[in-house]
Amino acid sequence: MTQTDIEKGAAAASPYVPKMARIVAADQMTETERFFRLEMEGEPLAYEPGQFVGVTVFGVGESPISICSSPTQGERIELTIRSVGLVTGALRTFEAGDRLGIRGPFGNGFDTGAMKGQDVLFVAGGLGLAPTRSLIRYVLDKREDFGKVTILAGAREPNLLLFREEIAEWVERSDADTLVTVNQPDKDWKGNVGVITRLFKQVEIDPARTCAVIVGPPVMFKFAVLEALAAGVPEHRIICSLERHMKCGVGKCGHCQIRGVYVCRDGPVFTYEQVKRLREGI
Amino acid sequence: MSKMLFLSEDGLVRLLEAVKASEVYAAVRRERGPEYCHLQKVPEAELALREPRPSSSLKAFLQPAKERVAVYTNEGFDVEASRLVCEDRALVGLRACDLVAIAYLDKVFREGDFKDPFYEARRESELLVSVDCVAVHENCFCTAVGGRPFAESGFDLNITPLESGYLVEVGTERGREVVDRVADAAAEPTDEQLAERNAARQKSIDQVEKQTRGLRVTDKVQELLLAKQGTDELSEMAARCVECAACTFICPTCHCFHLYDQVGGEENFERIRTWDSCILGGYSRMAGPAGAKPTPRPSLRSRCANRLLHKYAFSPQQYGMLGCTGCGRCIEACCGEIDIREVLRELIGDTSG
Repeated sequence: MTQTDIEKGAAAASPYVPKMARIVAADQMTETERFFRLEMEGEPLAYEPGQFVGVTVFGVGESPISICSSPTQGERIELTIRSVGLVTGALRTFEAGDRLGIRGPFGNGFDTGAMKGQDVLFVAGGLGLAPTRSLIRYVLDKREDFGKVTILAGAREPNLLLFREEIAEWVERSDADTLVTVNQPDKDWKGNVGVITRLFKQVEIDPARTCAVIVGPPVMFKFAVLEALAAGVPEHRIICSLERHMKCGVGKCGHCQIRGVYVCRDGPVFTYEQVKRLREGI
Repeated sequence: MSKMLFLSEDGLVRLLEAVKASEVYAAVRRERGPEYCHLQKVPEAELALREPRPSSSLKAFLQPAKERVAVYTNEGFDVEASRLVCEDRALVGLRACDLVAIAYLDKVFREGDFKDPFYEARRESELLVSVDCVAVHENCFCTAVGGRPFAESGFDLNITPLESGYLVEVGTERGREVVDRVADAAAEPTDEQLAERNAARQKSIDQVEKQTRGLRVTDKVQELLLAKQGTDELSEMAARCVECAACTFICPTCHCFHLYDQVGGEENFERIRTWDSCILGGYSRMAGPAGAKPTPRPSLRSRCANRLLHKYAFSPQQYGMLGCTGCGRCIEACCGEIDIREVLRELIGDTSG
């Protein structure tokens, strides 16, 4: 083996060559979701909330994964990975000390500048909480830059809820309203029951100054958008993050193309105004 | 030396010998028609400069069907080995439509925040020698998409075949270096030769125009396509499509690729990229159990529509130019006998043909 790029301390010129990262913490959050905290072996990653990285498991392949941490948390990056395929399946056995390849960050990220001074309403369902968390942490860390903060989180079952301890901390905060619901409660569940859109009844939304960040499975997205629109939030201030089959991450390989955009480069964050016109009605 | 010069048959042979590239790929005569091939490996091959465009596109010389883009071990990526070392090359006998395709691929791979180092390395090491189409393939329709059967820019050297000899136009300093090596064989073009060139060019335009029968992909056509995308009018195209993806592989502007990792040896891995096609069902399928995650374009009809619209409506939004050069290669490659000109005509509502 010749000297690697990292050992030489040089920056890789090719967008297809990952940089090395070491896992510093790993935690099985649910049966299928695993949490990783990574430290880059070279330069730390400079990223924005809502961006994603390509994660390489050596000899297996690469998957596009949202960064679930906020740059305000420091130099390490955090990922929540659902095991559904070849690469993410292999990651189930990865522990602290193991190494991964990281390409990126890719994508546009959330437009935090445009949200400044506004009320922020987060609606995160299931794994949608991972990319949303990067912005929630960012907003809570820069709390004075934003208006009222409301967090609605939902999961199918209590044991599928991600970041449970952290959500408990958010609930305790006096400067944010956090509501959690599950579709199917177990005998220990004492909170809200039902689909996430039911929580809209419990919150007050000032449509003139609210950004609604809605990330979750397609069916949740559809109904949550209807609720936000009904509350009077304009389409350009309803924000979501799209999921697509991304390979290169740099707008060249074509896999995530929808009409005239590449989700990896022009997204994954879009406003509902944009998404409406991006439907695969073809 | 003038920008234009005349060379005899022998002079042209000398000119091509003066192209001192390690690898020369040229349009040559083959049994089934002209093809691009590695000239040094087939030295007996005769150049096809007076024949219609080759049936395969030039894209493999810029983005091979399969290549290694990274090498790594469990220790990390080997940046040196992940770099492309590119020999200097020459592509001879390119058509105007091929140069349009290069202009399109340049926008994809050389512009924006991320450049493709492999494409970049090949482009920088390549000398482009184009030739006017004095013969036109029956499937050619370049004039319908704003093209012409001869190049006016984008080449290092351009050749116009005449009755007796060739006119060679110098496009770049790099091209000039080549003609300078055969300065003694070159002559100033006469007015008759220049007039012959103009006449030959007009004749080719007339021929393409005749076979396009007035088809024009205008802005209005693009709007029409966008408006009709949800209708059933593309169903026939999908009914004839056998999902072989030949159209995308033969297309000079289709550039989609797949990336995957494989074991290259003991504790040695490679990242490979291969051509991929949006016509194939698994193209945009996401990870997950069947049914749990949607494939954004599950129906063949939606994939056919996406390909058509990407060429004629989305590419202008993305790159400011059409994704179709009018080379017509997809027409002869199609196993379902789909003629993209007829598809366009039907969508536009032109039933004159």
